[in-house]
Amino acid sequence: MSVILDLPVRKPSSRLALPLILLGLVAALAILGPVLIPHDPIAQDLMRALEGPSLEHLLGTDHVGRDVAARLVHGAARSLALALSCVTVATGVGLLLGLVAAYAGRWVDLAIMRLSDLMLAFPGILLALLIAGFMGGGILPMLIGIKLTLWPQFARMARAIAQGELAQPHVEAARLAGFPAHTILIRHVLPAVLRQTTTLATLGLGAAIMSISALGFLGLGLQPPTPEWGAMISEMLPTMSEAPVQMAAPCLAIFVSVLGATLLGQALSETRHEETIR
Amino acid sequence: MRSVLALLGPRLTQAALTAWLLASLCFAFVHALPGDTALRIAAARVGDDRVTAEVADRIRREEGLDRPLLQQYGTWLRRIATGDLGHSLVTRKPVWQEIAYHGRFTLGLGALGWLLSYLIALPLGIACGFRPGGWLDRITNGMAVALAAMPGFLVGIGLISVFALSLRWLPPAGFRTAGHMVLPALTLALGLAAFSVRIIRNAVVEVRSAFYMTFAQIRGRSAGQAFAHHGVRNAAIPVATFAALQFAYLVDGFVVVETLFAYPGLGELLVKALVARDVPVIMGAGLVIGLLYAAVNLAADLACVALDPRHDARRAA
Repeated sequence: MSVILDLPVRKPSSRLALPLILLGLVAALAILGPVLIPHDPIAQDLMRALEGPSLEHLLGTDHVGRDVAARLVHGAARSLALALSCVTVATGVGLLLGLVAAYAGRWVDLAIMRLSDLMLAFPGILLALLIAGFMGGGILPMLIGIKLTLWPQFARMARAIAQGELAQPHVEAARLAGFPAHTILIRHVLPAVLRQTTTLATLGLGAAIMSISALGFLGLGLQPPTPEWGAMISEMLPTMSEAPVQMAAPCLAIFVSVLGATLLGQALSETRHEETIR
Repeated sequence: MRSVLALLGPRLTQAALTAWLLASLCFAFVHALPGDTALRIAAARVGDDRVTAEVADRIRREEGLDRPLLQQYGTWLRRIATGDLGHSLVTRKPVWQEIAYHGRFTLGLGALGWLLSYLIALPLGIACGFRPGGWLDRITNGMAVALAAMPGFLVGIGLISVFALSLRWLPPAGFRTAGHMVLPALTLALGLAAFSVRIIRNAVVEVRSAFYMTFAQIRGRSAGQAFAHHGVRNAAIPVATFAALQFAYLVDGFVVVETLFAYPGLGELLVKALVARDVPVIMGAGLVIGLLYAAVNLAADLACVALDPRHDARRAA
């Protein structure tokens, strides 16, 4: 569900600063973390389970003595990479189908739009949940499920913008001049569509991170012992009162990355909105 | 009346499409699993150790597994269309019985969560809408942005750690007393309110800046009176439309929240069935959630017509 929340009006540059810092932090965690924290994220040490934070284990250890900091940073790389892959594929497929629907019209349009209606008839992550569950959890089913729930938004947006562009005189002229469909779509329609895509894709990134962690939390996403934030949280639920730091760390990580993506999406849409007004 | 029928059509199509896709997914899943389906059903019915070739053969004939795949698919769709969902592979109880039992819990939780969310969001949203840009508006907005960036289980864990573990006011999980419902319902409510408070606030701001409000105030009404007489109904339209969208959030919410709080609702039933690969229950729970979604969408459409007669006129024209 994407609803644009209002933010105080500021200069575009300062609006972008906070989300970029937040996302940069998570990216730095994902890239530099594994280098700075040498522990193995899945090596257990039962003698040292549930230790508090120390110089050796910066965020303490979990219920089977794994280093939480190491799991956190490996989880960051995984979450970001998987979320990016979800958004990239969903955007690509959505744009392609949206453009084809707008250009071809008639029954092709109808078929593609009905297909997207079908996906949207499943509220929230229900479809992703069913597919991930049916295929027995793991990376691939989860990715397929999330991509299936994400693409219709992109297809609808691309179709709406493309329909507007295709009605423009210069595009009609190109059509009459006999340019092939792909030339018209790539040269005249795609640029307009892409301008609007960044916002939706950024918001989609936040949604994908949330879905990945939710599926992990439910035990239908990445499987233990893979370090993944949602799965870490569900593993540490029984011990959360003894090990609050270990619990708070992945929670904060999810919060910061989703907040970063949401704020960035909103900042981008507002910046563009002001540009169009000017 | 005509408009009600016009609204009903798309939503019924939505419901039918959902049911068809779910049924096909379940059918594909049952037949894509490696190994002999008849043997698997036999193992679920009589226990792993007592499966014999005869039992499997009997089941193959009874269930029509020896017939062509397309014919089986037809039978499968017909059974689901007539509401025959079969029995759970795990508990052996009829699926409808399971759904009725767990559905009650989810309806209670959902209703309480929804109610709580409007108890929070309505006064706060209206207050913010009367003073846009004020301190309350800014604090509320900040909290709404933060809450919107948290999946349901994060909010729930936050509430558990404060109210159950630190203050010890409420039980952290389970479902025996009314107290057990407070934290899950509050988790859902906060997630819902994070979005609806902004919708309400924006609707109020927009209505208050309309000409008819200025006119009412020129005629001598106070700002509050003018809003009560002319504003509420107009501001309610976007809020009602949004209520349907919120159901999508509610589904995400109760699947995760019920699992977190070990609360025996439909979401928890679905997740458990998915983990156990209990296909009839998955089918049933998915179907009920999908149909509820279509019903909520329809209710929101109808509410919009009831609130705004112009809606009706536009459609008829």
